[in-house]
Amino acid sequence: MKLNLLLFIVLCELSVFFPVYATAQNTFSFSGTIRNSETGEALIGASVFVEELKTVGTTTNAYGFYSLTIPQGTYTLRIQFIGFKTKRDTIVLDRDQTINFALHEESVNVGEVVISAERSNNNVTSTEISTNKLDVKELQSVPVLFGEKDVLKTIQLLPGIEAAGEGNTGFFARGGGADENLILLDEAPVYNPSHILGFMSVFNSDAIKDVKIMTGGIPAEYGGRLSSVLDIHTNDGNEKFFDGSGGIGLLASRLMVEGPIVKDEGSFLLSGRRTYADLFLKLSSDTTINRSSLYFYDMNGKVNYRLGNDDRIFLSGYFGKDNFSFGDFIGFNWGNSTGTLRWNHIWGSRLFSNASFIFSDYEYSNYSNVGTSNFELTSGIRDLNFKTDFDYFIQPRNTLKFGFDLIYHTFNPGQITTSGASAITAATIAQKYAAENAAYVSHEIELLPVVSVQYGVRFSTFTLLGPGTAFSYDAAGDVLDSASYGSGTPIKTYMNLEPRFAMTYLLDESNSIKASYTRTVQYLHQLSNSTTTNPNALWIPSSNNVQPLFADQVSLGYFRNFFDNSYETSLEVYYKNMEHLIDYKNGADLRLNPNVESQLVFGRGWSYGAEFLVKKKFGALTGWISYTLSRTDRQFPGVNNGQPYPANQDRTHDISVVLMYDYNAHWNFSATWVYYTGNAVTFPSGDYSVDGRAPIPYYTERNGYRMPAYHRLDLSVTYNFSGNSNLNFSLYNAYDRMNPYLIYFQKTDTTPPSTQAIQVTIFPIIPSVTYNFKF
Amino acid sequence: MKNSIFTAALLVSFAIAFQSCQNVISVDLNKANPQIVIEGKVTDQPGPYTVTISKTGNYFDPVLEFPPVSGAAAIISDKEGNTDTLRETAAGTYITSALRGITGRTYSLTVISEGKTYNGVSFLPRKVFIDSLSATSFHAPGGNKVYEINITFTDPPETKNYYRVVLHINSLPPDSVADGRYYLYTDKLFNGNTITQEIRFRNDVNIIHPGDTLTVDLLSIDEATYNYFNTLKDIVGENDRNISASPANPNTNLSNGSLGYFSAYAIDSKSIILN
Repeated sequence: MKLNLLLFIVLCELSVFFPVYATAQNTFSFSGTIRNSETGEALIGASVFVEELKTVGTTTNAYGFYSLTIPQGTYTLRIQFIGFKTKRDTIVLDRDQTINFALHEESVNVGEVVISAERSNNNVTSTEISTNKLDVKELQSVPVLFGEKDVLKTIQLLPGIEAAGEGNTGFFARGGGADENLILLDEAPVYNPSHILGFMSVFNSDAIKDVKIMTGGIPAEYGGRLSSVLDIHTNDGNEKFFDGSGGIGLLASRLMVEGPIVKDEGSFLLSGRRTYADLFLKLSSDTTINRSSLYFYDMNGKVNYRLGNDDRIFLSGYFGKDNFSFGDFIGFNWGNSTGTLRWNHIWGSRLFSNASFIFSDYEYSNYSNVGTSNFELTSGIRDLNFKTDFDYFIQPRNTLKFGFDLIYHTFNPGQITTSGASAITAATIAQKYAAENAAYVSHEIELLPVVSVQYGVRFSTFTLLGPGTAFSYDAAGDVLDSASYGSGTPIKTYMNLEPRFAMTYLLDESNSIKASYTRTVQYLHQLSNSTTTNPNALWIPSSNNVQPLFADQVSLGYFRNFFDNSYETSLEVYYKNMEHLIDYKNGADLRLNPNVESQLVFGRGWSYGAEFLVKKKFGALTGWISYTLSRTDRQFPGVNNGQPYPANQDRTHDISVVLMYDYNAHWNFSATWVYYTGNAVTFPSGDYSVDGRAPIPYYTERNGYRMPAYHRLDLSVTYNFSGNSNLNFSLYNAYDRMNPYLIYFQKTDTTPPSTQAIQVTIFPIIPSVTYNFKF
Repeated sequence: MKNSIFTAALLVSFAIAFQSCQNVISVDLNKANPQIVIEGKVTDQPGPYTVTISKTGNYFDPVLEFPPVSGAAAIISDKEGNTDTLRETAAGTYITSALRGITGRTYSLTVISEGKTYNGVSFLPRKVFIDSLSATSFHAPGGNKVYEINITFTDPPETKNYYRVVLHINSLPPDSVADGRYYLYTDKLFNGNTITQEIRFRNDVNIIHPGDTLTVDLLSIDEATYNYFNTLKDIVGENDRNISASPANPNTNLSNGSLGYFSAYAIDSKSIILN
């Protein structure tokens, strides 16, 4: 009933607003694309203001498109974007028209520090809450492990985002799980965003154009994951001339080339990367180690072509693979491949659409070649996805977004193949199939000069499809009953309405209060016996036994800019409740188990906290300080006597300080310092002996202990040569803090034996050097 | 489990490549109230059978000490009306007098200690025999000798079966070569088949010499015992090293909060000379 009412309200809104604006007299629309004048790259989030109409302005969407509808007249337009010179243009608006703009990058000539004249207060006025953006400069300047610039590690320095572990690209958003983040690379979801067991991300930072992370106030156009959306857009390729860039680092080398296919009409971009960590292994005298491999490579390719003013086609692909083997005995490899075909079309001058056809595949495989038992085990997930998004620019500050998203998932839970005379029996766990579909509408409007709202709803459905067998289980996990379904027959269907709401109340031009409510639903579940990102994690669909995950979140924020918008500050508080979370029974058997669902237990969780951010975006010294105070609990029947306990990722304090200093055109310095409360862990409170064995640890409470606090300082110096190349020297963990990666307990070798705790630190101080070049 | 071994192997490689460090640290652990630990066994071999009762100790005590529990009443009975009240022969050690374990019967253990009663039930499964046993050895890259033991047995098709293998070499304690591993099997993937289970161990510390006798015990255990050892395995790890991410006490078949287990099982043994 409540949902019907909501739909009714949405429909009323639409019927009220549409005719009024559509029939308004003497208004015309102008629209177009804003680009970088040097390369032709579309600029995301550039602003267009009409100087005569003080409050009228808009920003470009993910494809650089803008549209404004205003009364007939002559106007001065101001076009601005961070890092670019502001441009002013006069237009005579007497009909609908297309106006494209090109902005010049601010020069970074020797001895000159450029200060942008206009600074935007978008962060205060927009309805975006719990949202952070990283620009390319921030991404390039923040020091990271091994000197490899990494978007997933840089976002961990933002409020509300926690690192999943030392040097790890996995992250937790506001107490959510590592599998609850929707990670989009040019619209395509990426299932496993990590290389080398999570130490590096799959995103090659050379090609990244725009990064946005949302941990709350998620608009209705995004769905399918519970806790966050990380929306990454990459460069389309230089439309004007051929160029390239690359880097030679300690761990990996990378190369990127781009250029026009037809000047000003189409371009391409190709980039690739490969690590050579395996060379270190070759140095070992142990023949098992020096025959091992440990490397990854990835490749990105993009082509786009403009067909007239109204159409543009993009074809892009990503392919990456990790390979690891230990001697000739065992090994594993995993990789993502994605392919995307996109079509932008502008209908008239106010309606923009993007249709995407996406293929995404994640495969994991491990093999063993020992004696007579050789086998290869593969598992994975494959998606076919078609979606279309419309942006309808009704009026300035009145935008309607709507669209649909159709995904067909194929799950391969596990398959064992053997060759020759293997003692292992080949086996296959039946593949599973599901359709995940959604439609959404989202309306953003300025209701009063000081009040803007964005409200919307996402209607999502999930159907587990045959062929397949649905089992039901008793409390002990034994099969009670089973039913077979034919090909294409629905086994179980879920339908959900996900309301989304965000509003901003402007106190003045530099002060605002924002609030949001978000419901999110997740139909896919990652099973992993590790607390961090793990390549062998298994994706399973919601089913008759496994319910979709639900989260409801409210956020409230105060946003304030100081000194003519050069300092941005925000304070947000949030409360998030999560239902149907998954944990595993003690001794759960997750691999190659057709009844894996019987190994799961279901519970709930909640997280609340306060996040504080101060950011300086302009001047020679830039950076931010972020502090999160939070609490995250879980409650599962049968775990910890049914009492709530802190989640592993419960972190009371989480502090990040990021400083970047441009001393002059040659020398740049940067530093980051992080501090966070140690993870909640289970340690033994006693010990005993059984089966002739001691000590057996005796546990009394789940996650009742804490790892020692984690803190670390990273430093980086970059020298820019007069050409376009630079040399970067960085120190990870500069004061060599022995941070715990793992603490385990073991029996001592002494007589008589006793017990001791061992702390494993994986990254002490690590220097690295990277040479980056452009041509 | 296999995957966590791969994960561990990868981490080890990282440790080698990047010189990670391990340090003994001091951790402040709570002292739990001492908890009762009961371990009871009934087999298809002639008795007497033993029940041991002890208490937990504090984790970091300098010597591993687990106080025995004396003066308890321990009774083992079957559904056919046989009851045996155990005698305490040493502090915390209780043995049966006349009871004889028979396959196919269900046994109950009752322990009364300090005013609390603890119960456990275990089924003594039909005995599965070792069809054949063989052993070969080869040198692994790196030089250590690796023994490969092949144990062949035929799984009964009509029931769910669970197995544990225990290795003995001469007079060394059981599973001295296992590095703390437990060899546990279910017939989930080979029900009704003749199966060869392969066990491999390295002669790292030279405890095996050519001519030594290896005895393999194939234990036919019930589901509860399998679950107990399968979850015990996760927290003791290899080499008595506990690296589980979210560890929990093993799934016991004893009531009232007791640690430990009560297990009835059938044993078949075969021996072979190692070269």
